[in-house]
This record gives sequence, structure tokens and C-alpha cells, in this order.
Amino acid sequence: MTDVPVGGVAGIDRRPFEDFIVHEARLLDARRFRDWMALFADDGTYWVPAVPDQANPFDQASLFYDDRDLMKTRIDRLEHPRIHVQTPPSRTAHLVGNVVVEAADEANREYVVGSTVIMVEYREDKQRLFAGRQRHRLRRDGAGFRIVQKRVDLINCDAAFEAMAVPI
Amino acid sequence: MLDRTRDEISRLVEPGRVHRRVYTDPDIFELEMERIFGRAWLFVGHTSQVAKPGDYVTVDLGRKPVIMTRHHDGSVRVLLNRCTHRGAKVANERCGHASRLVCLYHGWTFDTDGTLIGVPVPEGASESFRKEEFGLARAPRVGEYRGFVFASLAANGSSFEDHIGPMKRNIDDLVDRAPDGELAFDAGMHRYAYDGNWKLQIENVLDSYHVPFGHASTVNKDGVQFARREGDQKGAKVVEADKKSTAASWKDRKSYTVGNGHGWTSNTSLDEGKRSSPAFDEYKRVLAEKVGAARAEAILTPRLHNSLIYPNMSIMGLNIHVRVIRPIAVDRTEVNIFPVRLVGAPAAMNSANIRLLNVTHSAASFVQTDDLEAFARSQKGLRSTATDWVDISRGLGAEEPDRELNATRELATHEMVVRAQYKAWAGYMREAV
Repeated sequence: MTDVPVGGVAGIDRRPFEDFIVHEARLLDARRFRDWMALFADDGTYWVPAVPDQANPFDQASLFYDDRDLMKTRIDRLEHPRIHVQTPPSRTAHLVGNVVVEAADEANREYVVGSTVIMVEYREDKQRLFAGRQRHRLRRDGAGFRIVQKRVDLINCDAAFEAMAVPI
Repeated sequence: MLDRTRDEISRLVEPGRVHRRVYTDPDIFELEMERIFGRAWLFVGHTSQVAKPGDYVTVDLGRKPVIMTRHHDGSVRVLLNRCTHRGAKVANERCGHASRLVCLYHGWTFDTDGTLIGVPVPEGASESFRKEEFGLARAPRVGEYRGFVFASLAANGSSFEDHIGPMKRNIDDLVDRAPDGELAFDAGMHRYAYDGNWKLQIENVLDSYHVPFGHASTVNKDGVQFARREGDQKGAKVVEADKKSTAASWKDRKSYTVGNGHGWTSNTSLDEGKRSSPAFDEYKRVLAEKVGAARAEAILTPRLHNSLIYPNMSIMGLNIHVRVIRPIAVDRTEVNIFPVRLVGAPAAMNSANIRLLNVTHSAASFVQTDDLEAFARSQKGLRSTATDWVDISRGLGAEEPDRELNATRELATHEMVVRAQYKAWAGYMREAV
């Protein structure tokens, strides 16, 4: 993510992209995890690297690297009555900003959208702050988008974390 | 203040119980740093982390920073990461490559075996100053087995062979899975931390009793856990279908101890025989090609689930990894999880292992997070003085010898291995260094 472009693609209206990413963040804050998963394409992945500038999720450990199958297992567990690490559940507030359409491939109707995310999580008398850069690879799907990949590069991705139960 | 006498330590550990102070008392923790982490054989790292001369990694042994280097003669060295001049930590990165280790403060320069080779402004040194007396201190004792490097910070004590010897077959069990018979720690690491004592994690790695309840959220309505290994269609049966009782296969598992606090648990067969996927099948083929079909079959038959090499590391056999436990304070611990690459295995197999480890043992995983909650709540509960004792009596008196393995055996849902840990603990803690 060192190659983050400062500007965006000229002549593209970023508002539909921004609306989509804000909507995604609001679903997470509402704990509507199944609706959140439905935003992903069938081949979609959710990736949170464990080191800065991680090249790929295949030969290095990641905090999260879920395809749809793993995402479903994760969400089944989040809805399980005996998920101890969510008893009580986390409350989160996401703030998404600095949205830039970094690349547009109109032929394949795919777009790369960069943004900055801050998530505050509260649980069990502890408040934690997560912050990082996001990159959404989106595929146009009718009037909306599906997520081909959501990558979140936390600024402290290589820190020792206490349990992280919910997606960033 | 703890009076540190043999009697006082002895009073904290009884046959089926330990005093809550072993988890909560800062004085006990200080004594552990001195008498256990200051003397025991501790896992430092793996030689593959310092593959080339000049490679180094920095870790803490107990709370003491050390550097493991590959010296230019090819040997692996364990040096205390503290400048011999004014005390600054010399190597500051988690890992790196340097032909010389240079202290940031006044520029004292050390070779990768710790020898002091450069002191800026030498004309200012006192007459009695001898450069050869100011090399970085070396860990007094270092031992290695199949790439696993251990060090003791005390000059005397139980030998490497006496301490690690009985656990070599547990190391073999993992290393032999690599077609080339060697591991590489080059797939990054997971780091997690919790507000709890280090022993809570140590006790947990061999605890088969907690799984059906502690990890209930990973089990489906048929009592079966999600598939955790490449090639499995489903995971282990953990709970019977009525969800009221622990699955028979789980209850049959065994735990073993060989003294020194070490222990392991036997495995539960999953889809053995049916395990298949393109990556797994190719891995099996490559392994058989390297070691022969019969040997490959034996290697791939699970015997061990988890192994604890007391006091600071474990080898986990299902979602293969090496776990290192780092005490920070009496109520704070960090754990590092190293995925291991099986050298010679197809990239797709190693990749599958890495990916599945993300969902079982990263800080954001499905399995480890419920354990972390258990550790944090244990530490909170142990503040209570409702009773001073923590019960570890399951199976007390039911231990039996396993002559074939030269070990002591018990059901894995019992607590023999925890008692074995406290026996070793008391052994270290009663004796001044």
C-alpha cells in the first residue's frame, strides 16, 4: 500500500462508491453480518494483513483472510449463543473517509476504491481504536456493486492484539 | 513480601490444587522471572529465521531482550541484547540483516558473535579498558535440535539433553511431516496478548477438557467442529448429537507427561483415509516419493495433538504451528504463533496450512479468541478470595505408566498434565539461582 495514489481517476463520480463503502460500514456497526457478507461477490475475499505492505495472503499469516466459506463460518459463530468472546457483544463505530477512486477498469466494470477507516470498539469496560487504510476492489452489479476484495491495512497490523471478534 | 523460602513455595502447590497467588501475586511473578525464566531451557527461535550469515531476530527470554544471530562462520549465536557500555538495546528491529551490530547511542560496534570490534574515539578510553572484556554477553548455554534453538540464561542446571531429550520425538513428529525433513519459519507470525498470567496459556495448550464448552461456538448443530485441515470434509466430533455430552472420541483421548513440566495429548482421528484435496493429495504423493509409501503413511497418521515443551513453547499438531509464550507481567502475557512451512511440500499445501491457521489462531480467529476470553476472565475471577485454591484434581490418582513411551498417561480430559507443570514449577521455584 506504499503505492497509494494521492489523486483519483479523473472524471469519475466518487459519490456512488463512497455511498457503498459507508453503507458497508453501517452494516458492520449494526451487526448485520449476513447482509454485510451479501455485499461480497461469490469469489469475494476479506483480507486484513498482519504486516505492512504484505504482498499476498497465501504464504504469510494474516489477521483475516476469509473467502465466502470462511466468512460464513465466522458469521455462524458470531450468531452462536455461546460465543464467549462476544458475551457481551462488541459495540463498534466505523468512520470512513478520504474516499478516492484509485483505478477504474470500465471494460470489466471493476474499480479500486481507497479510503481511510477508523473503528472504535467498546466491550467489557475497554475501548479500543483501530485505524487504517482500506482498499475495496468493487465489481459493478446492476445498479450497485459487489466486493471482489476488501483489504484493510491497519496502521498497527503487526502489533500484539487482544481478541478481535468482529471484522474491521 | 514473599519470603522466598522452600516452605513457602511448597505451600502454594498441593497434590490436586494450587494457590491463587501463583497467578496473581507480583512477587511470585518476579521470582518466576528469576528462578524459571532466568534458568530453564527456553525456546529462542528456529535456525531458518537466521538462514544467512548476518541475519538476526530479537526476542525476549522472560523479560530479557536477546538477539539470535547467524555468525559468519555459520553458527547460530544467542546474545544478550544490551550494550556493554551504557546499557542500550543494540538491535531494535524484530528481525533484520547486518554484518555488524551497532549501538545507536555511542556507536559501539559488535560482530555477530558479540565480539566488540569498534569503539569510537578510542583515545578517550581509560587505561584499564580492555575491548575483549566488553563483548555482548552470550547466553551461557545454547542447544539446538532439528532447527529448534533453546537457551538457558544460567551457567548451570539440567543439561539440554536431560531437559529437551524426552521431547525430541514430539519435535520429530512435526518436522518429519516436511518432505525434505526440515521446517521454515518464514510465513510471518500471529501475535496476541491478554490480561492474564502466562500459565493460563501454558495450561490451556494441553487442556482437552475445555474444548466442548469453551469452543462451543465453533461446533455445528451435529456436534461437529468446522473443518480445520486441508482435505477434511468436516472437523472433529466434539459433542454428541444430543449436545448434552462430550463426544466419546474426545473423551478417549490421552495425555502424557515425561517430567520437566513437559506433556502432550494424543490425537483424535478426523477424516483419516478419506482426507483428500488436490493440495493434500499432491503433498502425500511428494512425501511418499521422498520417504517411501509406508513411512509417509506413518508420518501422516496423527499421533500427537499438542505438545508442551515447558516452560515457554508448544508444538500444535492439528493446525500446525509453534507457539511461544512470553510473560510480561503477573497479569499480562503475549503469545507468538509461528506458522511452519513444510520444506519440500507443494506451495498449495503450505498455503492451505497458513490460511487455516488464520482462522484458528490469529488474534481474529474462531478458536483462539474464546480461549483469550477464558484467560482474561480467569484472571478477573482469581482476584476473589472466596477460596484461595484453584482445583486441578481431575484424574488425581488415575495416572498410569506407559512403558512403551516411557511416560505417564492419563485421560486428556483430566488434569494430570497441569499437575506435572506445577511439579516442575515448584522444582524451579524452591531453589535459588
